[in-house]
Amino acid sequence: MEKLLNIKNLQVTVADNEAEDASKEILKGIDLQVNKGEIHVVLGPNGSGKSTLMNAIMGHPKYEIAGGSLEFEGEDLTELKTFERARKGIFLSFQTPEEIPGITVENMIRTAKQAVTGENIKVVKFRRELKAAMKELQMDESYAQRYMNVGFSGGEKKRNEILQMLMLQPKLALLDETDSGLDVDAIQIVSNGVKKFHNEDNACLIITHNTRILKQLNVDKVHVLMQGKIVAEGGPELIEKIDKEGFGFLQGAE
Amino acid sequence: MNKEIFSEIPMRTWNWLGVNEATVDKDLLVESQKLDIDIEADHHEKMVVEYRKESYGIVNISIGENASLKLTQLQLMPEERNHANEVNIVLEKKARLQLVAVETGAKSFASKVNIILKGDKSQADVSVLYFGDGDRSLDMNYVLDFQGRKTVGNLEVYGGLMGESQKIFRGTLDFKQGSKQAKGYEKENVVVLSKGVRNRSVPIMLSGEDDVVGNHAVSSGKINEDKLHYLMSRGLSPAEARKLVLEAAFNPVLELIEDEVLRQEIDSYIKERLENE
Amino acid sequence: MAQEKTYIEDIERTLYDIKNVDKSKYKSQSGLTEDIIRDISARKNDPEWMLEFRLKSLEVYNQLSLPNWGPDLSELNMDEIVTYVQPDAKMTGSWDEVPEDIKDTFDRLGIPEAEQTSLAGVGAQYDSEVVYHSIQEDLVKQGVIYTDMETALHEHEEIVRDHFMKLVPPKDHKFAALHGAVWSGGSFVYVPEGVHVEIPLQSYFRLNAAGAGQFEHTLIIVEKNASLHFIEGCSAPKYNVTNLHAGCVELFVNDGARLRYSTIENWSRNMMNLNTKRAVVGKDGVIEWVSGSFGSHVSMLYPCSVLKGENAKCEFTGVTFASKGQNLDTGASVIHCAPHTSANISTRTISKAGGKATYRSAVKVTKNAPYAKCSVNCESLMLDDISRSDTLPTMDIEGDEADIGHEATIGRISDEAIFYLMSRGISEDEARSMIVRGFVEPIAKELPLEYAVEMNNLVNIELEGTMG
Repeated sequence: MEKLLNIKNLQVTVADNEAEDASKEILKGIDLQVNKGEIHVVLGPNGSGKSTLMNAIMGHPKYEIAGGSLEFEGEDLTELKTFERARKGIFLSFQTPEEIPGITVENMIRTAKQAVTGENIKVVKFRRELKAAMKELQMDESYAQRYMNVGFSGGEKKRNEILQMLMLQPKLALLDETDSGLDVDAIQIVSNGVKKFHNEDNACLIITHNTRILKQLNVDKVHVLMQGKIVAEGGPELIEKIDKEGFGFLQGAE
Repeated sequence: MNKEIFSEIPMRTWNWLGVNEATVDKDLLVESQKLDIDIEADHHEKMVVEYRKESYGIVNISIGENASLKLTQLQLMPEERNHANEVNIVLEKKARLQLVAVETGAKSFASKVNIILKGDKSQADVSVLYFGDGDRSLDMNYVLDFQGRKTVGNLEVYGGLMGESQKIFRGTLDFKQGSKQAKGYEKENVVVLSKGVRNRSVPIMLSGEDDVVGNHAVSSGKINEDKLHYLMSRGLSPAEARKLVLEAAFNPVLELIEDEVLRQEIDSYIKERLENE
Repeated sequence: MAQEKTYIEDIERTLYDIKNVDKSKYKSQSGLTEDIIRDISARKNDPEWMLEFRLKSLEVYNQLSLPNWGPDLSELNMDEIVTYVQPDAKMTGSWDEVPEDIKDTFDRLGIPEAEQTSLAGVGAQYDSEVVYHSIQEDLVKQGVIYTDMETALHEHEEIVRDHFMKLVPPKDHKFAALHGAVWSGGSFVYVPEGVHVEIPLQSYFRLNAAGAGQFEHTLIIVEKNASLHFIEGCSAPKYNVTNLHAGCVELFVNDGARLRYSTIENWSRNMMNLNTKRAVVGKDGVIEWVSGSFGSHVSMLYPCSVLKGENAKCEFTGVTFASKGQNLDTGASVIHCAPHTSANISTRTISKAGGKATYRSAVKVTKNAPYAKCSVNCESLMLDDISRSDTLPTMDIEGDEADIGHEATIGRISDEAIFYLMSRGISEDEARSMIVRGFVEPIAKELPLEYAVEMNNLVNIELEGTMG
């Protein structure tokens, strides 16, 4: 199997807002490999470092890699800027997507697609694809002309994230609580979107609190993150166990 | 009459608006009641300043590192008197100020408040209540000067105007270069109750620093008709309903006054004036 | 020999910066005296009342002092300004008759091309005089008049006399008085009752001569239930001496009429732009301002709307971009004088590289304007910490039936927004400029397409070299 993402002993710190010149270690040595065709899930209580992991992979400037390695398709990511990582084929679906006034959804996705593919994107063909993808996600067509996430409900923002994923076709999709704040129907739509996206040439790394979304997907591996460390790993059976018992049984794992 | 410029806005605008400066009678500024206060580092104080007969008062305060002060200033001058007062406050590192100012008295008054957020992470929360009726004239000039990093300043103003009263409220958020990651917020809500009112607002925001977040908002309008209608449908007279709505509007400031007796006094003072409308 | 270092003194604005050799036919002496004014008036063959008006304005000018607020104007020395520069060209209705160098200038600015594709009429002023004017035949048939002010003064003397500087009287401020004394050129538009001019008219003002002033007067009358979109463009090449622009725009929007007045201003960085614009709006009438301020060294520009008739409306949309060496003091004012009048003011200001942008406004609600409504929204973006951005609005409200709201924000581009765009593969520079373009989008979308493109180009020019 082809290795897509390879993380070894990753340590990540974030600048501490309260104390000057001090930083806090959030990830304390993470190992994680994701291969093409796989779906991985990261579970863990609030503040365990799940979002930090996503942001570190995407290269958020606030997070600093203090040790370990981070490779994508055998190439070191740590020196690459966020947009360079995106152009390599990494996509992050944000937990709280930014509102960007004045930039329409269509304009944004077309600009991004051009940047990622390095090709000039033909308007007519693009529009057709966009329309189809929006229909898939049960988004009203008029949203293509609205400003990025401005005035969108929580659920609409999340759908807009999945729309971008479908349009940009990344190799690795990082989904940071894409299902949070969604009602049952919306979860169905989003997980259908993920299902449609996923194939043997790409991979997903999913953070979630809600295990319902996972029922639709064939999860290959589950990692449980607590206090910056992976404390348990296993197959989809782990999801059910945590669903029933919570994280309590893992407290002794450390 | 012999007039003198008492306060000015930090940046001038069209003269025809009449808001560039406040002038007061020279005689008013002759005798002042002056108060100098130093809050030492790590100390926490509460103070109440009341104006009931003094024509002119000055309060100078410095708040040391990690110290805090809650200052409640009440201007309850008799109706026939004129009044002026000023407050100057400097905050050191991580110092905190809570200022509650009630400007309800005097025939004609001018007040100026200058707060310097000098130390990093210092914070000032300022709440102002003003009320004008009859032919009173109210003139206020509040400045929050952001100098330190990560400073926070909030200015919330609640006003009510009726009769033929005239009011000018100037509120300035001034972000100096270097005040990185400072946050400033200013809001003025005015409820206007009669036709004869003249209501002027000058919310100023100055910035020489990009890494700041500044917001200001002013709204001025008549009392919410839906609310009035709702209350009247419960049997309240129009006057009673208005009183209640206005009281609710002033509550964010009134509830910050800890002294029950004082709070009652202000509350009934405003109520009484609403009755005489 | 010491190697001379090349400094990039200003941004690349080649298109606007190509200057022509000064081939003017006549130039007044610099400075401002009664003789100069008599001379200008005689050369323009003014009616007697206009000469008197000019002389009276000069008197007022000499009595008034500079404003004691706003940007510092001490760099302006009126004794050095040439107030009248007559190009060596006659007013014509055919581009072929315009002298080559002048025509080339307007070609580069795309004026004759726009005339073919998207305008119903064009006026082109070069220094102090209008050199070209045209209007579509069918509009003429409907009684629309679009011509230069000098022609209007002679052919429609009564209308001009009834309106000229009635909205902006010379005593309004020092530069209004100056304008009254030395005005020259500009456009006159008259739209008769019920006529809708569907395609915009555009006047373009080009100041080529160094050290000169441009004082064009624009007078527009839109009669009852008529409508018009008027576009004003202006630019000048850069010189090392101060140029002065003190134009005056007077707009009369009658009952039920609608006027949109759009401006893309791109004066060079040696220009003092002290312009006065005012509109009076009748019952059910609408004035819409779209105003882009990019150029000039110092600007003071606050289009004023007097809402005189019941239910009159004002929409103001403005963007100001202040860069190195610029102090752009812009904004708007609205006077509500009748019941149920309403106004919406929405502005965006950007400052960078030491530029200073000020938003200044006044909203006045008189006792005669119950149920007035006004909402102001102004957002400021700072691109670095050596620039300034100031916001100074004033509201002056009488009566108890007005509903007035004002909101303003100030800040910089959020790091999180940049990260979000970068996570989609967009480079950091592109992400920043996308956000800035998005920031001015509410204004760009109010402009006809080609002008929106021009504005985006101006934004891009401004952003070049600052990013990354």
